[in-house]
Amino acid sequence: MFNRNFSVRRLPGFGAIAIFTFVILYLPIVILVVFSFNSGLSQARWEGFSLQWYEAAFNNRQVRDVSIRSLWLALVASGLATVLATLAALGTTRVSRFPGRTMIYALINQPLMVPEIVTGIALLIFVAAIKVQTGYTGMGYLIAAHTAFCIPFAYLPIRARLETMDITLESAAADLYASHWQAFRYITLPLLVPGIVAGFMLGFVISLDTVVITEFVKSAGQDTLPTYMLGQLRRTVTPEMNAIATLFLALSLCIVTAFFLITRKRGA
Amino acid sequence: MAEAPERHGWKWLLCAPALVVLVTAASGPLLIVVAYSFLTPGNMGGVVWEFTLEAWFRVFFRRDIFDPESITFNQAHLTVYWRSVWLSLQTTFICAVLGFPTAWFIATRPPSSRTLWLFLITIPFWTNLLIRTFAIQEVIRNNGTINTVLLQMGVINQPIQMMYTDFAILLGMAYVFMPLMVLPLYAAMDKLDFRLVEAGYDLYASRVQVLWHVILPLVKPGFIAGSILVFIPAIGAYVTPRVLGGGRTMMLGNLIALQFGQGRNWPLGAALAMLMLIIVVGALVFYLRWANREEARNV
Amino acid sequence: MTAQTKPDSAEIEIRDLSKVFGQGAAAFRALSEINLQIRTGEFFTLLGPSGCGKTTLLRVIAGFEQPSTGSLRINGKEVAGLGPNARPVNTVFQNYALFPHMTVAQNIGFGLKMQGKPRAEVEATTAEMLSLVKMEAMAERRPSEISGGQQQRVALARALAPRPRVLLLDEPLSALDLKLRKEMQSELKRLQTETGITFIFVTHDQEEALTMSDRIAVMSAGKILQLGSPHEIYHAPSERFVADFIGDTNFLDMAVKAVNGTVAEVTLPGGKPGTARLPEGFLPVLGETVTTVIRPEQVQMVDAGQGDMDAVVDNAVFFGTDTNVHLRLDDGQGFVLRRQNSAETIEPDAGTRMGLRLSPGALRVLKG
Repeated sequence: MFNRNFSVRRLPGFGAIAIFTFVILYLPIVILVVFSFNSGLSQARWEGFSLQWYEAAFNNRQVRDVSIRSLWLALVASGLATVLATLAALGTTRVSRFPGRTMIYALINQPLMVPEIVTGIALLIFVAAIKVQTGYTGMGYLIAAHTAFCIPFAYLPIRARLETMDITLESAAADLYASHWQAFRYITLPLLVPGIVAGFMLGFVISLDTVVITEFVKSAGQDTLPTYMLGQLRRTVTPEMNAIATLFLALSLCIVTAFFLITRKRGA
Repeated sequence: MAEAPERHGWKWLLCAPALVVLVTAASGPLLIVVAYSFLTPGNMGGVVWEFTLEAWFRVFFRRDIFDPESITFNQAHLTVYWRSVWLSLQTTFICAVLGFPTAWFIATRPPSSRTLWLFLITIPFWTNLLIRTFAIQEVIRNNGTINTVLLQMGVINQPIQMMYTDFAILLGMAYVFMPLMVLPLYAAMDKLDFRLVEAGYDLYASRVQVLWHVILPLVKPGFIAGSILVFIPAIGAYVTPRVLGGGRTMMLGNLIALQFGQGRNWPLGAALAMLMLIIVVGALVFYLRWANREEARNV
Repeated sequence: MTAQTKPDSAEIEIRDLSKVFGQGAAAFRALSEINLQIRTGEFFTLLGPSGCGKTTLLRVIAGFEQPSTGSLRINGKEVAGLGPNARPVNTVFQNYALFPHMTVAQNIGFGLKMQGKPRAEVEATTAEMLSLVKMEAMAERRPSEISGGQQQRVALARALAPRPRVLLLDEPLSALDLKLRKEMQSELKRLQTETGITFIFVTHDQEEALTMSDRIAVMSAGKILQLGSPHEIYHAPSERFVADFIGDTNFLDMAVKAVNGTVAEVTLPGGKPGTARLPEGFLPVLGETVTTVIRPEQVQMVDAGQGDMDAVVDNAVFFGTDTNVHLRLDDGQGFVLRRQNSAETIEPDAGTRMGLRLSPGALRVLKG
């Protein structure tokens, strides 16, 4: 048997399985998007192009409210988380070992390791107790919970950026008469910006996606887009939900693409 | 002369604001959960501050309502635990079987298009889990895509019931957690030295032998990492089983949530949450031990 | 530029300086008991293998590391305890450490800007520096957009711009290829002469050190073994390490018969008498064996019995301009002789017996 195309990288059948996996991953999403433009109610029978479900979604007061709440919550929480994570990254990178460092890492990464449902009910219990004590039922709980949850995600790219940064650059700045603050202001911070932007974007997407924690922390009338959708899924859903999901997907896609481009460029 | 100053002695203080938020809004409440699991349930949710092991007892056992001395295993709970573990293992297996060839496929693309394929696997990773679960629901529900198409083609006469079954949960979880398996596998393959694969072929190994004796052992760290990354969120799953499993086909996460809803036994919910945490931490510890040992051997 | 007028005045004075990293059992003594005076306006080189402490010494002078004990004066002023931003010294880093987010011009002007110099002065000096290193055309480029040799020039200009008293260079040429390195060697020498600034240059390349330096300090294991002009270091090594590290060398063991001032009378391998110069302040014990050193090019081939020693050829290795002839002396010690080639010279055959004549005064006794 002669195989002119022998390649050590080829394993028979793997390509087919990979394509199958990609199709499986994308087909349901494609169907979801396509039928958001269907003029009928079906998810399988195409009855003609229509934007009526988008129109319905836009005219749905509740959808508008929860979308706006989701966006500003994500903005506030990821903004806070980015500031805190930047400080934490500066505090934990390139320092000599100090007692409690492992503890700090564990605390920062804790939201990544503990299942969301556990964090969710823990916050439910905690928030319930505070509500009884203080009577406060505002958005503060959600902001705090989302911020804490976003910190590890914002921390990762910022820390990675700091660790790959050439430490001699700061030495060079000090050698050229820069004070600690000037070295930070003119050298470290500008070089850290891509990491900070990436951290903010990750935090934003994570906050936007978080459903379990929000579900357990929210007070009445504090639904976000994901918890609203979760509630709606119990009923018979119309393609209006497809339209909402499609818009949501488009937003995530934009952010992820931007994130991808930023982190790619760093390598060059 | 002056003692060399410890330049970074104060730096860890920069972590303080983040730690305050994390302790109050993430780690601290976990300790309260531990405490609650040893308290007596209140009448309408909440707790009464009386120490008891009843909640932990009820995690596994039940008492006969009329005869408190008669103790039996809590079959309903055990069924849920078994389903959680079994479905999580199956999910991990499916993700591994499909994820390995997928990661290999991506890793062997030319560098220019590799980025694109990697991007394609990353997108689902960052898109909303609820939306992806919803997409699956629309495909498998009774008047969803599959059933409608099959009915139209005349293959079946009545819709196949897929929603609210173990199968639905398994499909949904494998679907949403697949990128978590592919990404670490890809990372391991990206580092793979293809000269070792060449050496394998040079020494008369067949493709299957090279796969089994050279490639698999070399990417094993990626396999283990991927398996942990899939298994842990699968055990902790709440949204996917809630949407696709409905009220009857519960997993551990839904059982926990139930205690804070209609069931209103907060201490039991807290104890169940601790049980889940123990399983997750156990899996993590197993993984870290393994990873450290492996690293020590390869240095 | 700043013209230093006082020749031979000490620009840098280091006394009993040592540097210890870590504590207790894990402590590592990177520098011990360094005593050194570096003169104003000289090209001074710290030479040694990696890990000998030369970079640590440079970093201590720059202020990146603080000495554990001892004093360090720059221009008469004690600087131990001061940070790098408070010392009139600048560093050219091994990897250049150019700020990637700034242009070439911004990099060069950075030090002046940090010193709070007025904008006009910053710009004028930057322009002056750009022309000094012939990089005017690249002023607005980023470091990633220029070649390695150009980055090197920018790093030099950046370190020179604040007109430091001392310029520290940490193996600045090691990242360049051979041709570019030769070019930069003469460029560095030119800049040093033009600016009159004291250069302290760290390298592990003995040839680089010999070509460029006014004085060389050879370091090993945190100590300065020998300090002297390139000529002294090459021709009069005082220790085995120095002789071995710099150039090719023959080591020969022989007995001392008598000491006559700075010269020892010795018995050469094979039994003939000879003389070897003694290092300063060293008296060998009569009758004991000492190690002597002689460079391969300081020996001539003569007929057997006609020279100071006799030897048998093992093999000859042709290098182009030279041939190294590997020999075995009658008492069994190995010996290498370097002979310059011309078109007529013939390689000696293995097994040939021949005599060796040592150049007068070339044989030297080593301390210990």
